[in-house]
Amino acid sequence: MLASIARRAWLTVLLLVGWQALSGFRVLDPLFFPAPTTLLATFGSLVVSGEIGRQVMRTLERTAAGFGVGVLCGCAASVALSLSATLRRASEPLVAALYSTPRLTLLPMVMLLVGVNDAARILLVSLGTALLMMIQVSDAIRAVNKDYVDMAVNYGASRAMVIRKVYLPACLPQIFTALRLAFSRALVLTISVELLNSDDGLGSMILSAWQTFAIEKLYVSIALAAALGLVTQSLFHQLERRLAPWRDQTA
Amino acid sequence: MVEVALACTELGVVYRKQGRSVPALSDVGFEIRRGEFVSVVGPSGCGKTTLLHVLAGLLPPTSGRAELFDDAPAPSMAASLVFQENSLFPWMTVVENAAFGLEMRGVDKAERERRAIHMLERFGLAGREHDYPRQLSSGMKQRVAVIRAFLGGAPVLLMDEPFAALDRQARMKAQQELMDLWESQQKTVVFVTHDVDEALLLSDRILVLSPSPGTVVSEYRVATERPRSPLCEPDEESLDLRRRIFAALHLAPGLPRYASTAS
Repeated sequence: MLASIARRAWLTVLLLVGWQALSGFRVLDPLFFPAPTTLLATFGSLVVSGEIGRQVMRTLERTAAGFGVGVLCGCAASVALSLSATLRRASEPLVAALYSTPRLTLLPMVMLLVGVNDAARILLVSLGTALLMMIQVSDAIRAVNKDYVDMAVNYGASRAMVIRKVYLPACLPQIFTALRLAFSRALVLTISVELLNSDDGLGSMILSAWQTFAIEKLYVSIALAAALGLVTQSLFHQLERRLAPWRDQTA
Repeated sequence: MVEVALACTELGVVYRKQGRSVPALSDVGFEIRRGEFVSVVGPSGCGKTTLLHVLAGLLPPTSGRAELFDDAPAPSMAASLVFQENSLFPWMTVVENAAFGLEMRGVDKAERERRAIHMLERFGLAGREHDYPRQLSSGMKQRVAVIRAFLGGAPVLLMDEPFAALDRQARMKAQQELMDLWESQQKTVVFVTHDVDEALLLSDRILVLSPSPGTVVSEYRVATERPRSPLCEPDEESLDLRRRIFAALHLAPGLPRYASTAS
């Protein structure tokens, strides 16, 4: 456990120590590159003031809402596409076009339709999530080995049983991967949307720190965004290990 | 009177591939008695797997009939298929895999696990009950698949080259185990293989299929006394049978293409 942490963390620690030293010896201008210890102090005071808690919560709320709606819609759409080849073929160019459009460019349009409010921001996040889920999950459904379906049918499994005993577990590993990617996409989109248009959340905190030249706060909020991504990704990894234990996790 | 477990009459299967018709089986006819062990041998691509899929109810025949005479609760449960590969569900443990047939027949969890564990222990898989298939050797996987078929309750078992991918030792172990199971359980087995020696070891009767489209060209009775063992040296009679089957498969030069039916 400790060894594994050490193997993962040594480079990060080295960089931080180097940064601290360069900043301490004034090789780096502390105005633009405040020392990690200074940043830690800023972080502490922002935690105490409650600002960080508030902003992170706002970002997580939007991410979770957009992610939740997006996952539900994306999964429902992928099931529909798997059931109907006609629908799948007809939707392919649309999905491809939408998928290669930078999601943020849709924000003005969404705000035009929904209004300049949180619903619009969340809608945009869920759109990005839904597209990714839809593509990944319908791929997973199509990739299910028909031998397993035949095997279950041969033992007398009903349609519902085939879905529960074959399709669901067969797709589960890919669904987890999709969920993990979709969450990280939702987080990135939320922070980006906040950066463009929002009064609160991590993105808005970064923007206002930049505009007021609060360099230390700028660093802290960017590091927070990164840390949020890191923590949620590792939570998803652990969930996957717990719920799909038949997968070889040694690789 | 001898009871017939399954029969094919003028069975034909035609696949549609990009608008073209590809015949896979043509005018296949045979009867298999209850409790009989019959192997089907033939060159690759002669429709052996297609035949099993028809018998398993996974593929409707294009012409003719395939009938199973039994009292299974549902037609789909009359004949259990053992695949050559991907024969276990990777997301189920060994005991869940072995008990899958029982589960589909509504046997409650405690009872089906008890029966599955009993069988697994009897056949050298004690202690592996809660492993996942990826933790087993390919030989063990196929043995679990065979155990599941026997536990499933179907009176007819259909095996599609279940041991073809195993190394020699693992294959011998699996063959021995299959014979032990079959002798203790009175199931009808249709065993597809391309290995004539395997067919000779296991079967009461051997059907030889022609190249595509497959049809039964000859059949042989294997009179070797049971119990048999993969370790026994074949006697003169079975060596002669072996030569005739190879000839029927057109593998021995200088012999007529299809030897006539012998018994």
